[in-house]
Amino acid sequence: MAETLSPLDTVLRAGRYANTAAKIGVTLSEVSPGSIVQVAAWPDTEAKVLEGIAKTTKLKLGGEPGAGAVSGNVAAFGIAPGRFLVISEDEGLADRLLGAIPATVGSVTDLSHGRTAIRIEGEKAEWLLAKFFAVDFSKAKFPVGRGVSTNHHDVFAQIQRRTENCFEVYVFRSFARSFWKALCHGAEENGYEVR
Amino acid sequence: MSAIRIASGGRIDRSRAINFRFDGQAYTGHPGDTLASALLANGVTLFGRSFKYHRPRGLLTAGVDEPNALVTVLRDSVREPNVPATTVELYEGLVAESQNRFPSLQFDVSAVNQFAGKFIGAGFYYKTFMGPEFGPLKGTRFWMLCEHFIRRAAGLGRAGLAPDKSRYQRMNAFCDVLVVGSGPAGLSAAAAAADQGANVMLAEIDSRFGGSANWSGETIDGTPASAWASEAVAQLAKRSNVRMLNRTSVWGYYDTNTIAALERVTDHKPMGASGEPRHRHWNIRAGSVVLATGAFERPIVFPGNDRPGVMLASGAMRYANEFGVRTGERIAIFTNNDTAYGAALALKRTGASIVAIVDVRRDASEKARHAASECSAELLTGYAVTATRGGKMLDGIEVQPFDGQRVSGAARKIDADCLLVSGGWSPAIHLASQAGSRPVWDETLQAFLPPQPTENWVGAGAFNGAFQTADAIAEGHAAGLAATGGTNARKLTPPMVEGFAGEPNPAPVFEIKGKGKGKAFVDFQHDVTADDVRLAYTEGFTSAEHLKRYTTLGMATDQGKTSNVPGMAIMAEATGKPIPEVGSTRFRPPFAPVSVGSLAAERFGDLKPERLTPMHDWHLEHGATMYSAGLWFRPMIYGAKGETVEQAYVREAKVVREGVGIVDVSTLGKIAVQGPDAGEFLDRVYTNMFSTLPVGKARYGLMLREDGFAFDDGTTWRLGETEFLMTTTTANAGKVMQQLEYFLDVVWPDLRVHVTSVTDQWAGAAIAGPLSRKVLEACVQGTKVDNDALPFMGIVHGTIDGVNVMICRLSFSGELAYEVYCGANEGTRVWEALMAAGKPFAIVPYGLEALGTLRIEKGHVTGAEIDGRTTARDLHLDWMLSKKKPFIGSAMMDREGLVDENRLQLVGIVPLDNRPINGGAHIVEQLHEDHPMNSIGHVTAMCYSPALGKYIALALVKGGKARRGTRAYVSDPLRKRFGPVEIVSHHFFDPDGSRMHG
Amino acid sequence: MLITCPYCGPRDVVEFTYQGDGNRTRPDPASTDLNAWNAYVYDRVNIAGDQNEIWQHSGGCRTHLAVTRNTLTHKISSVRSTHAEPPAPPKPARKKPRAKA
Ligand SMILES: [Zn+2]
Repeated sequence: MAETLSPLDTVLRAGRYANTAAKIGVTLSEVSPGSIVQVAAWPDTEAKVLEGIAKTTKLKLGGEPGAGAVSGNVAAFGIAPGRFLVISEDEGLADRLLGAIPATVGSVTDLSHGRTAIRIEGEKAEWLLAKFFAVDFSKAKFPVGRGVSTNHHDVFAQIQRRTENCFEVYVFRSFARSFWKALCHGAEENGYEVR
Repeated sequence: MSAIRIASGGRIDRSRAINFRFDGQAYTGHPGDTLASALLANGVTLFGRSFKYHRPRGLLTAGVDEPNALVTVLRDSVREPNVPATTVELYEGLVAESQNRFPSLQFDVSAVNQFAGKFIGAGFYYKTFMGPEFGPLKGTRFWMLCEHFIRRAAGLGRAGLAPDKSRYQRMNAFCDVLVVGSGPAGLSAAAAAADQGANVMLAEIDSRFGGSANWSGETIDGTPASAWASEAVAQLAKRSNVRMLNRTSVWGYYDTNTIAALERVTDHKPMGASGEPRHRHWNIRAGSVVLATGAFERPIVFPGNDRPGVMLASGAMRYANEFGVRTGERIAIFTNNDTAYGAALALKRTGASIVAIVDVRRDASEKARHAASECSAELLTGYAVTATRGGKMLDGIEVQPFDGQRVSGAARKIDADCLLVSGGWSPAIHLASQAGSRPVWDETLQAFLPPQPTENWVGAGAFNGAFQTADAIAEGHAAGLAATGGTNARKLTPPMVEGFAGEPNPAPVFEIKGKGKGKAFVDFQHDVTADDVRLAYTEGFTSAEHLKRYTTLGMATDQGKTSNVPGMAIMAEATGKPIPEVGSTRFRPPFAPVSVGSLAAERFGDLKPERLTPMHDWHLEHGATMYSAGLWFRPMIYGAKGETVEQAYVREAKVVREGVGIVDVSTLGKIAVQGPDAGEFLDRVYTNMFSTLPVGKARYGLMLREDGFAFDDGTTWRLGETEFLMTTTTANAGKVMQQLEYFLDVVWPDLRVHVTSVTDQWAGAAIAGPLSRKVLEACVQGTKVDNDALPFMGIVHGTIDGVNVMICRLSFSGELAYEVYCGANEGTRVWEALMAAGKPFAIVPYGLEALGTLRIEKGHVTGAEIDGRTTARDLHLDWMLSKKKPFIGSAMMDREGLVDENRLQLVGIVPLDNRPINGGAHIVEQLHEDHPMNSIGHVTAMCYSPALGKYIALALVKGGKARRGTRAYVSDPLRKRFGPVEIVSHHFFDPDGSRMHG
Repeated sequence: MLITCPYCGPRDVVEFTYQGDGNRTRPDPASTDLNAWNAYVYDRVNIAGDQNEIWQHSGGCRTHLAVTRNTLTHKISSVRSTHAEPPAPPKPARKKPRAKA
């Protein structure tokens, strides 16, 4: 990819902020995956779409709502009935998925530029997310790999739990800077680090 | 009343002093104190002036039910009025002041109001200011005359003008069981539920968990109750499945067990930690709720019952046992039940002398008699207090024999500086009432008990009418288990509770009608007296809800916590009906006052989200004045130094007509329409055909609503056999997306089509003007852009500066123009490359104003004309209405009213005086500047046209098509703009479109 | 008010957009019966009780849901995706023939 510009470039400054007297509660960073792709099945082709995702990424997704998987540099999760978000550190994932999923099986939509990925990591990650989203992020209800589609007022977000204390949030690119500022603001009471 | 701090006991830390100020005077208190307890310990007994009559008032209670002692807390320049002093925790440097007094609390000029009591009784406002005007001083005009004085005299604290800089936050929480209240019942419920492995939240309104255990003076299994509570709290705190929130008032119970709570995070600190919110609004979704909210003691209504020094027995007991404050030296008790005897014992232990216990009952229980003699108090059974004496402070009471109905005989005077009153107990059923049906009257307790649950909650303890601590603990345990649906419960060993625990069952006595003329208050905060209630009855306002609204009883900030039941009882007596037939009003949120800041939380100030295009920073760096369009920010003009807005846009628009300009169009809605049936779907959605559109071509499309009115327009590009890219107007992107999703989901679920918002995926730049092709030729690689390779509405793929781009030749400006799309993260890079390639051609960036000017010159419509009331025909877009197929709106668009020739139709307007006119100005046939005139339409958009060298406008005018070439007038009385105009075609410039096809 | 989205689970009403009456049926697209279209576009019943409604989970999976909501209590008695078949109308309970004693 040619030299690109993230909407966070002018606001993201590495360092420790706010209540640093306390232990750093969360670490915020921008992830710049090479590809963010939506794959959607027709009502009777979900199994074939999952096959296509598995063939392309080696990820096996369960059929239940929000089911997801993380492995190496790829991740995927359900965002709606028959719809999945597939993320890879590599570029060109959309083309590879298109090869495995023809129009008769489903649609492939490249969103690599359209969504900004923000990583929220640390002991207070669940606490910070709870300020924005009315979703139960407890480990029991939202295990590693699971994804969810929700919103914070006008900001639509898709969120996946990557590890026990790490979440990735995908927001519309145009909202990313505002949302980042709001995240930082919300993280102040716990002390936060930007990487 | 000579209150003092006693040497030991309570939760306060006497080893540390806290300095604070009240009404300008410096005091000290201790950690653990409230403002009320600290002031009381300093001998302060006068706390405020009452709402209407400005009567001196002292403390009635020690908690959230306090109606009298409202203060204003001052922090920096922010005033927070109407806070009960009983709920303000002391912190170093606290500054507070009393309210509703002028010039001072001790001497208040409006106190004369109390002698004009008849004048401002119940319904005063309705009677005085409503209705027809009989004379000059009646009705609303009289109100306007008096309003200023009344508002000043009657009222609570004064709100500040300084902005509140505190931050507030909202939290979402989920739990299996929410326990509200942490008294013995609540603690026991939380432990039982947690034992079952449930995810538990425990909310306590006070700073300290434990509720009544903190002041009951009992022992539980041999340990002082307060220590028992501390231990229970410590055990809960160790568990990972329990979240404990103190200083948290649960104030709203909404459907599907959604609970609202307010956590006061920093109110008790001199300064919050960095980033700490002042309040946290908790939005809790609980599987089930245990209501262990306890009960409120209520006063007895008798003449002079509001004199400072008269307080609730439980309040005084709390001050003694929890705060180590003795509320008086010579204390009298006035009760209709046994619980007040416990207060007598507690006060006795502080060293006060209990001068008399006045009990309205003919016989007191054995237990009560024993307690009275232990206090060495004179026990006056079958007596009632009929008057209080003293000025701003109680110095004595009068008692008379009482037979359960009325007083008789000679009055006897008793010297006392503090009178403790107990009129029975009302379970705090507010949340249960919010959640469902009407409460149930209990004869034994003379109180309303919680209704049958309509939501998933369980009650426990005094809330349920179980006042004895051992019962409360047992009920709590059972409630905790019931809330989890637990079965493998460990059996609770009933605790041994020792201490004086009087039965709360009162004699049904709510009011003593004395012979004196002293006012007898029911609602202390709103100054509603027993006579006001009777007046309401006389005037026909007898139901609970009418009584409330007519007298304002229970409508103050304390929501009638102490006054509701006495008010109902007095009305019941007046009507001769039993209390339950008068009814109880349904409690509504909030249970306790809520800060507005916590409700707004983070959606405030600069945290309102902004949508930024990929080139946003470039625009700012290059002098753009930004304009907010919905949530989007777009350049309005790129003004040069000293340029007005008009000069800037005229310059920019002129460059586009003569050379080349570039504008950011990334905000246009973009929707990927994919799937085998995409073409068919678009045929149904648009008024014109799209299935026939070849791959690599774009087409302008129009959408209608189901009702046949115009909805949105834009171009849609066919990128592949099964793949289209639809563009919408910026403003309607979301609505169009929802319309497409609705039809795919609900109406045509058989179509194999997916729609996905890709607005943010693409950066878009429109490059327009006669030289635009030359600019592209200079920078585009991998494709030709000449007229053969890229004809009008053609699409090509290539690269600019190594970045993949998609170029479509289409025009909004009417000039030769192209839209260049690339990945959003590369938008600025491509934009800069276009600027560099355009430099030899003197390219300029242009903003929304110039964009608007160019489109007005061409007569293109936008949201100002597609305003939801116009049809395709009104806008002269009927050529786009396909007759070969049905589409959304096709069946309804030909209705009689929609094809009328006299409808508002799009026209051009030329002001003949060549001065600007504003959008919204009316078009009229005859001009009378002084009179309203019949409007024949209105202006939708206006600009100075550099191409035509004059001001022009678009308008929607009745039968506008037929009026072309005629004269009319613009009438804009608000802005004083009148003048002659000519109605012309909306195609001002290049009507045959030769420029963009060239 | 919570709506239990069949895909996303119980979510707050702020995540949803009301998308109109759930009882109306769209006439055949080619139909020119203005009365039928008028009924579809404008005629609404205002029910005090259980009402069929269409809601979009716009702040979640974005699917449209057929919701039956009680307009008096907000109680939601059924939610299904508009793609799913509507539940069969309840059959009149047929009494089992009693075994003879
Ligand atoms: Zn959903």
